[in-house]
Amino acid sequence: MKPKVAFFDFAGCEGDQLQVANLEEDLLALLGQVEVVSFREVMKEHSDNYDIAFVEGSCTRLQDEDRLKTIRKNAKIVVAIGSCATIGGINSLRNYKDLDTVKKTVYGENAKLFDSYAARAIDAVIPVDAYVHGCPIDKEDFLQVVKALLVGKKPETTTYPVCVECKKNENVCAFERGQFCVGTVTRAGCNSCCVNEGTICWGCRGLVDNPNENSHKEVLIKYGLTVDDAISKFRLYFGWQEAKR
Amino acid sequence: MKIISKEDFQNFINALIKDDSLNVIGVKSRGTKFAFGPLESAEELRLDYDITLLPPKKYFFPQRETLFTYDLTDGFSAKNPEEIKPMVIVGVHPYDIVALLHMDEIFRETKSDPYYFKKRDAAIIIGVNIQKMSKWNFSSYMGSAAIDYGYDLMLTDLGNRYAINIGSQKGEDLLSKYAKNVTLALARDIQVAGQKKREVMSMSQQKFDFPPELIPELLKDAYGKSGFWEKHSEKCLACGSCVLVCPTCYCFDVKENLDLSLEQGERIRTWDGCLLEDFAKIASGENFRATRPTRYRHRYFKKGKYMFDAFGFISCVGCGRCSSNCLPDIANPVNLFNDMYHESLESGEQMATVAAQPEVKIQTGGDIDYVPKLATIIKKAPMTSMETLFEIKLDDGSELSQKPGQFVEVSVFGIGEAPISLSSSPTKKETFEVCVRKLGNVTTKLHRLNVGDKVGIRGPFGNGFDVDALKGKDLLFIAGGLGIAPLRSLINYVLDNRKDYGRVYLLYGCKEPKELLFSDELLSLASKENVEFKPTVDRCPESGVWEGNIGVITTLIPQITFDPEKTIAILCGPPVMYKFVIADLKKRNVPDDHIIMSLERRMKCGVGKCGHCQINQIYVCKDGPVFNYSKIKGVPEAL
Amino acid sequence: MKESNIDVEVHHITRVEGHGNINVNIKNGVIEQCEWSIPEAPRFFEAMVVGRSWNELHHITSRICGICSIGHTLASLKATESAMGIPISEQDLKLRKLALHAENLQSHILHLGFLVLPDLMGVGSVIPLASTNLPEVKTVLQLHRTANEMSTLLCGRTTHPQRLIPGGFSKIPSMKELILIRKKLQDSIPSIQAVAELYKSLAGRLPDFKRETEFISLTDPNEYALYDGKLDSSDTGTAPVKEYLAYTNEYIIPQSTAKWAKHTRESYMVGALARLNNNYKNLSPMAQKTAEAFNLQPMCYNPFMNSIAQLVEVVHSVEDSIRLINELEAAGLKPQPDYNKPEIKVKAGNGVGAVEVPRGILFHDYTYNEKGICTKANCIIPTNQNHGNIQLDMKSILPQIIDKPQKEIELTLEMLVRAYDPCISCSTHVVKVNLT
Repeated sequence: MKPKVAFFDFAGCEGDQLQVANLEEDLLALLGQVEVVSFREVMKEHSDNYDIAFVEGSCTRLQDEDRLKTIRKNAKIVVAIGSCATIGGINSLRNYKDLDTVKKTVYGENAKLFDSYAARAIDAVIPVDAYVHGCPIDKEDFLQVVKALLVGKKPETTTYPVCVECKKNENVCAFERGQFCVGTVTRAGCNSCCVNEGTICWGCRGLVDNPNENSHKEVLIKYGLTVDDAISKFRLYFGWQEAKR
Repeated sequence: MKIISKEDFQNFINALIKDDSLNVIGVKSRGTKFAFGPLESAEELRLDYDITLLPPKKYFFPQRETLFTYDLTDGFSAKNPEEIKPMVIVGVHPYDIVALLHMDEIFRETKSDPYYFKKRDAAIIIGVNIQKMSKWNFSSYMGSAAIDYGYDLMLTDLGNRYAINIGSQKGEDLLSKYAKNVTLALARDIQVAGQKKREVMSMSQQKFDFPPELIPELLKDAYGKSGFWEKHSEKCLACGSCVLVCPTCYCFDVKENLDLSLEQGERIRTWDGCLLEDFAKIASGENFRATRPTRYRHRYFKKGKYMFDAFGFISCVGCGRCSSNCLPDIANPVNLFNDMYHESLESGEQMATVAAQPEVKIQTGGDIDYVPKLATIIKKAPMTSMETLFEIKLDDGSELSQKPGQFVEVSVFGIGEAPISLSSSPTKKETFEVCVRKLGNVTTKLHRLNVGDKVGIRGPFGNGFDVDALKGKDLLFIAGGLGIAPLRSLINYVLDNRKDYGRVYLLYGCKEPKELLFSDELLSLASKENVEFKPTVDRCPESGVWEGNIGVITTLIPQITFDPEKTIAILCGPPVMYKFVIADLKKRNVPDDHIIMSLERRMKCGVGKCGHCQINQIYVCKDGPVFNYSKIKGVPEAL
Repeated sequence: MKESNIDVEVHHITRVEGHGNINVNIKNGVIEQCEWSIPEAPRFFEAMVVGRSWNELHHITSRICGICSIGHTLASLKATESAMGIPISEQDLKLRKLALHAENLQSHILHLGFLVLPDLMGVGSVIPLASTNLPEVKTVLQLHRTANEMSTLLCGRTTHPQRLIPGGFSKIPSMKELILIRKKLQDSIPSIQAVAELYKSLAGRLPDFKRETEFISLTDPNEYALYDGKLDSSDTGTAPVKEYLAYTNEYIIPQSTAKWAKHTRESYMVGALARLNNNYKNLSPMAQKTAEAFNLQPMCYNPFMNSIAQLVEVVHSVEDSIRLINELEAAGLKPQPDYNKPEIKVKAGNGVGAVEVPRGILFHDYTYNEKGICTKANCIIPTNQNHGNIQLDMKSILPQIIDKPQKEIELTLEMLVRAYDPCISCSTHVVKVNLT
């Protein structure tokens, strides 16, 4: 019997769900293994009877919490997909600004009409069974998690940093090119895709479990970044994780 | 020595490239650095480079490699990957050639690695002498800045021409087939080439303050050096860069990859590194090298001492890649060993002036087989909520012929492979038994399989118990928790050959009564076979019934009388048990070499290659899992 | 059958990006409420980028949208490059135009194949079509794949492209790779024709509705403007992009976390139909032929024809991409260093970048201080600009279909929204109202 899956989205850009649509022919193969009962972006039908829920986007409002709790109740397995859902993502950038100021900046006097609080990963609200990190998620990574769930395996999480993949891919280290990278403390699993494309790692997959943050910040400063800039770099994606620690 | 003009050399390379039957690889620029890559024209070649990002080992031991593919739709069929196109690798520096020679010995030892050698045999190495040396390179100290062996051709840049030293028939043939205008060297060529060689020897910007041959001696007393390893590893990011770029590192991980049909898949191996956090972690969550100082220290000991003791060479060629890639700059062996040397001088330690030559005993055997044999589950008997006993038969009808104490690697296709101790004696011939605790992915899935389902089996691996040495002795088995499973293979063997052995005691402890394994079997044996069997539990919950001893396993030891001179103690249990049991045995005057134990680590390849099961210089899968206490009591990571 | 009491409450309309609600209440044949509202969580990007550095902004603003990431990144880069006077080479310009074509292709094909087609085929999603019309679905997937391969080749990946950086590209494809993708584009033409045939057979199901409105897009005398151009209004003519605020006039609506916009009328339309109406003569020959086959000619005031306009643009993007690759081949591709990072002289300034993304014209407006830190940002999203038009279209079409059964009214209103191909989570990025 094919497991029933459903997709949900919160505050995010829907890029992760697009990545699922981007599976192209693999999507057909995937549909051979699962039954999609709810995927608002692609289909009209909806059912509350699902086994696996894929959730994209951060929780940014009190009203989102109820929706999350309902999903948790309905699903046997909840998978957070994309940085916004797994670690708060880019949305957590605004957590460092005064929220009232932020609202007024964008909405002016009508700010009070809009309800919002600090953006957070969904596991701040409900227990999550598996994570597909990345901004956006990597299609292969997503499939690995799905396949693991289909065969009854606990999906593997990588515990080492992006440097491992960068070295295997024989990249010239960003620091040697005069740039500043946070790959040394970022969770691998993306195959160092951004450095492969000629840039740096921005940290979208979140911090590894036991990062040596002080050492990394020292490295950034040794190579010429100011202390403030180093801290600022960490806030791009690690804002929620750092606040938790 | 031969001579070729630079122009004719270009033509030679272009002729090689034009031949579609060859893969021509050379050093090219990448950004401001260099890397080996496929050549599309001779213009791309940069023989004046200082060092490549990754060593040429990636062509023989690739970052990621398919061990075999399988298809479950028709039983199970496995396929090894295809043929290798011959390759010509141009521009290998001497230190990288020496590293390949290290790797050849490593991959041949115990059992040969066919994947590595297939590629190695298909390659022609054209070396080039060093023209520019990276500032981290100290190869001249390691004897690898120049070499007159290990290549097929070796080039030396003499300005407008190259000198070519021919190292093999393959090289000679390549030259005659593709190169034109190759002449014999003249006296002036020989002189210039000699001068270049001398220049290389003085290029190193690194400086050892002591003869580096003494590194193994220096390390002898450095293991527990107070604060030394903590100080040096404080900034370690556990990024693995130092080991991933190293030309002599060879640790790997094995993973399983299914495709979306869930019926076809592959098993792959990929580079791994002992500096990474979870390298020595097992399914139960225990991590045998959990801290940065322990992992950091392991790398230096492995390269500078353990490899030296096993093979007779310090496993470092001085390329300096580790140093140049370490962002917090803590990976430079020169800095570390100089610091170690000065510390030992200051503390007045006496250091040997000559490194003791180790007794090198390299064993070689046939090829490793990474492809499992198909086997069927004949019987499945759940024993507790967490443990199930499986009886398995190999499909090809052969006998496993294991020694008691060995283990097998059990594959659940689509999930992975896990090492499980054999629980049955070889006297039971057609089938064998494993007792599996449900802990990780493989074991959990295994528990859901049923009689008639297929698994894959590799092995048996490990050294097993020396049953002959135990003959005539009294045997004191001490088992904790799941530790009874491997001991059972020996217990049953002993009981099947009862007259060869003396008294048999079995002490067995678990946390609670419901966790006791094989309890009925053991009790019945005890009543029949002149075996003194004493079980114990840490506690008995109110819902349980228990009439036996309550207390940890050591509380049983005073309850038996035995002659320490005649008795051999055989231990197996959770890591924490060993320390206390050994202490109590010592109190009873049991000699060190009368204590035998079976240890557990994370094991992937089973043949002493992937590195995960290493305890200091020992590979648990190969040198163990059975160890004599007298041999490992000095091994810090063992207990 | 006429029903006198009808309530259409579509919460979180499906098959659009983001969350939007349709609320229609008809009592005794009288329309009491007809509302298009946006409950999407606001995301505050304009506030988030303040205080961040010029070399980060494109990375952050790319995350405004997963589907038009390339467009957002390019608009962002153009704004930064305009603010600091950073030039772009001819070659990079062509490559950026190719990137935008790839995005247009990817997004339009997704919209046509996955989001609109099910309505025309009478099913809830493309999933059942995978069983009943497998060849057509495979064709759509194949085209989508080609578009994604093209995006990946030029930008690193479709969503949140890495290669697009201030001053150019961190990595460019080789000529060999461009030639391969050109072949794929050429080979895809029969597939596009097949999709066009399918749509032609279904075009009768598109409602024949008309409401005059203003169309705003980029325009250029010499090409169908997507990457560069002047601002163009079908009512008032052209203006420099820097004057966008005079055109976009955003204002807040209580039922919506997204702002609305208006210019000469109560609302205006952006997107494929707007571009086609304003720039028809610059469409490629095959694209114009396709438009003719559907009787789609300027000025077309039927918003449902936006989907057909997208189909026409698919043909144009393929033809124009082939032309651009031919030009690159003829000129020879100049190599650039690995891990390219153009030297940028940081200075204070303000710049506006406008780009046509699949859904319409997009503006990014940044102000930097002398250290290159952003002090102010403004983003105007195409969908924001369409919200007003959607609302007015709804109000206008409702009386025309009020006699239909409830299900049909609901479907028509949903199809209306879908025709605009809205990207709602982007539009809640919103712009500052007061810039004093």
